[in-house]
Amino acid sequence: MEIVVFTKRVPVTQEEELRILGDGQSVDLSKLPHRMNDWDNYAVEEAVKLIEKGGGGVTSVAIGDSESDEVLRRAIAMGARDGFLLEANEVLQDPFARATLTYNFLKKENMPFDAIFTGVQAEDEQFACFGGILAALLKIPYAAQVIGIDAVEKDHFVVRRELEGGLQERVKVSLPCLLSIQSGINEPRYVSIMGVRKASKVERKVFKASNYTDSGKSLVEITKWVYPPKKEGAAMLAGDVGEICSKLFAILKEKGVYQ
Amino acid sequence: MNSERVLACMQCGKCTGSCPEAGKTPFNIRMIVRKKQFQRAIEEDLPWYCTSCSTCTIRCPRDVKPSEVIIDLRSALIEDGRIPASIQKALESTFVQKNPWGKPRSKRAEWTGKVDFEIPHISETKERRLLFTCCIQAYDPRCMVIPANVSRLLHSAGMEFGILGEEEACCGNEIRRMGEAGLFEELREENLANFKEYGVNEIITLSPHCMNTFRKEYGDLGIRVSHYSEVVQGLLERGAVKLESRYEKKVVYHDPCFLGKQNAIFDEPRTLLAKALGTNSLEFSRMRDNSLCCEGGGGRMFFDVETTYQRNSESRVKEALEMGAEVIATSCPFCVMNLEDPATEKGLSVKEVSEILVEVI
Amino acid sequence: MSDVLSASYVLVVAEVRRGLFEERNLDTIGLGRLLGSPVYLLLPDNASGVDASIVDKVIRVGADEGNFQNPLTMVSILTKVFETRGQPDFILFTHSSSGAECAAYAAGHFSLPVITDVSGFDRPTGTFSKSYYSDKVFAQFKSASSPSILTVRSGSFRDQVTRNQATADTESLGAFTAQGGRTFLDYVEEAGGAVDITKADFLLSVGRGIGSKDEIPRYEELAQTMKAVLSCSRPVVDKLWLPKERQVGTSGKTVKPKVYLAMAISGAFQHIAGMKDADCIIAINKDPEAPIFQYAHFGIVADVNKLRDKLIETAKAS
Repeated sequence: MEIVVFTKRVPVTQEEELRILGDGQSVDLSKLPHRMNDWDNYAVEEAVKLIEKGGGGVTSVAIGDSESDEVLRRAIAMGARDGFLLEANEVLQDPFARATLTYNFLKKENMPFDAIFTGVQAEDEQFACFGGILAALLKIPYAAQVIGIDAVEKDHFVVRRELEGGLQERVKVSLPCLLSIQSGINEPRYVSIMGVRKASKVERKVFKASNYTDSGKSLVEITKWVYPPKKEGAAMLAGDVGEICSKLFAILKEKGVYQ
Repeated sequence: MNSERVLACMQCGKCTGSCPEAGKTPFNIRMIVRKKQFQRAIEEDLPWYCTSCSTCTIRCPRDVKPSEVIIDLRSALIEDGRIPASIQKALESTFVQKNPWGKPRSKRAEWTGKVDFEIPHISETKERRLLFTCCIQAYDPRCMVIPANVSRLLHSAGMEFGILGEEEACCGNEIRRMGEAGLFEELREENLANFKEYGVNEIITLSPHCMNTFRKEYGDLGIRVSHYSEVVQGLLERGAVKLESRYEKKVVYHDPCFLGKQNAIFDEPRTLLAKALGTNSLEFSRMRDNSLCCEGGGGRMFFDVETTYQRNSESRVKEALEMGAEVIATSCPFCVMNLEDPATEKGLSVKEVSEILVEVI
Repeated sequence: MSDVLSASYVLVVAEVRRGLFEERNLDTIGLGRLLGSPVYLLLPDNASGVDASIVDKVIRVGADEGNFQNPLTMVSILTKVFETRGQPDFILFTHSSSGAECAAYAAGHFSLPVITDVSGFDRPTGTFSKSYYSDKVFAQFKSASSPSILTVRSGSFRDQVTRNQATADTESLGAFTAQGGRTFLDYVEEAGGAVDITKADFLLSVGRGIGSKDEIPRYEELAQTMKAVLSCSRPVVDKLWLPKERQVGTSGKTVKPKVYLAMAISGAFQHIAGMKDADCIIAINKDPEAPIFQYAHFGIVADVNKLRDKLIETAKAS
């Protein structure tokens, strides 16, 4: 089985205060550490587990600047056979543009695949669209938020999709297909520094994204970046016990965990 | 590999006899060495019980170095990728943010906001005396007072020092003991490069763990590495730091493994306490090189074993109560963290030595 | 695209779960109202509990929800909608597992702009707010063409819902069979047995401050009533009040639920590290200075056990 996994190098922003530059022109990411997108760890692990069991190979693909080589090395250390970098120096904010670029790349380079895995979303833009758009362009079936692959047959998978509140949906998806993999589907193996050093010996091929870009403009664009409304610590709920209870239940309902 | 000495083991059992985990947990270091001798498999969760107190290695009559055998076993598990999730998280965080707590590197010097004077970057100082903060003391609100206090003590004595701030990376002591040799090498490389670049002449550490690895595992630095208690003791003797009042509570001192038995620093913290108290602090029955490990080292701050035994910290608290102590004093942040919960429950408080000193200057 | 003259309307694709019309649809309809009239609601044929006075037309599709939420079927459904009613200005989905899945696939299929997790709309600039870096900053997005596909964040627009005098007419769209590439099999509840707190949407977490092991059963009752999973801080496990698998923190598990309700937890650093990324943190503690309030979104200063009892009482009454 040939599986292509898309991996992304993302900035680590937990607990950082982000600064917007200019008059909402861009976000300052210059001093942030980076790492492989959390969801992609699960996607790579799942792909590697499948081929460890049934044979085949995993190819990791990253779209980004040359620093994205870091996530390819990590994927190889986890068990991927190849790493391909689609080198693009400018960030494509429109998921459609990224999917089109990728579609052209897969077609032009004749990449064989039985399945394509992505993470559910990227930690930075959190669009959760790249995989779905790409699947539609490739005219292959799509299942998002896959929390378990229950059966692997020659021509189809049976997978479980994560819905809400512990509920899951079981679907049959014929191959070739595209799955977006949800965190928690497995426990990604630890990648040691020595493991990454060994992975560095595997050649990572670089392709120029400009060779695969359509000339059409983006379908969506960002006009401005803004800060969220200021949060001053916890909003304290006041009132007598009965009022506090009502307010609490209202919050739970709004968050969708209580009906 | 570190396990080459296993064949010298004569199974005398001194290691297990001194191990803080023996008897109440399934961890039996003598048995593990035996199995290593015969290349038998060892259960995957066992190596993680070790607290790296090194008592076994110190006492072994044949220099088998059992604590290194444990590190080897952990290394093998790490290369296989089969390690407890919380250890994995701590290691991955150290790789990305240079500290195992998942806190951003950019905030490593935020503790300096707690003192009312400027603490310069090491490069801006004349004497190039580096105060090495340590990860938990840089980020944990409970421990941040320690670097703040020590800074105040040094500042009041007119001793110049600087910090690395954001450029400081984890010393790697726990990382090496968790078995991630590659990550330890990277941290060491980064810190050494910084020490060289800034012409560091002396390092004052706040954590015995940092001091341990700088003294023993960073090669020949060619410069003095001290624990702050050594430095402050010197300052007190010279009269550069003056104590104005007395600490009136009954204090018992707990020797941290990495300061005491591993690096033979027993007297300096005691001298500081004696000066602050006006009398000697109380002693536990297991003291000095026989001190009872708090079970915070060897990665145990990131990983909790699943048993129902009484923790050593609880035994310490019990004994402290029995002797009528009000405060348990110690000089290691991990000991502070591990002793504090059971202590406060029984109405005792735990103080790092600098916290006591700062109250009486 | 179809050259039928497009009647301007907003198509809201409903999310129906086991026959029930989900509450988060209100936010989608609310944004629909903001964007313009009329609002057409697209439903699978097994939907119930729909208040048809809040939209202007209901289109019932001859497909049950398992088929309806299959993205391959959805694009056939949308194709028929465009053919028979023209293209809308906007196609709105809930920002949820099924909604985002269909939205992305439809965008790729029809080559339409798509913006997900929309939580704001600025009418003067015609831009939509989308969260980046987990709400640390927001990007204002403009769509280049029409129709555009949006997925709508739950809780963002429901007060924009308005009621008409009369309930909307229902039209039917005809039958749709499952596509070959993907078939809905069934729903599955999360496997029982060993508790995995990392998978829960809603965690009710207790700390040492609850006082004693005897208080635990009432917290279990509260968790059950609220459909939350019980978790705890380390001292609770150390005291053997709850098993280790429930522990949140550096030496326990790291969780990212939608809601983390911390009851009688002070907020020690090692605990916070295990839950700080929860979407919504609600802290209840009798100490107003407890550090946890610095990390919580909502706080309540109260006698925790007493509040627990009142919560159980209130929940059971409703």
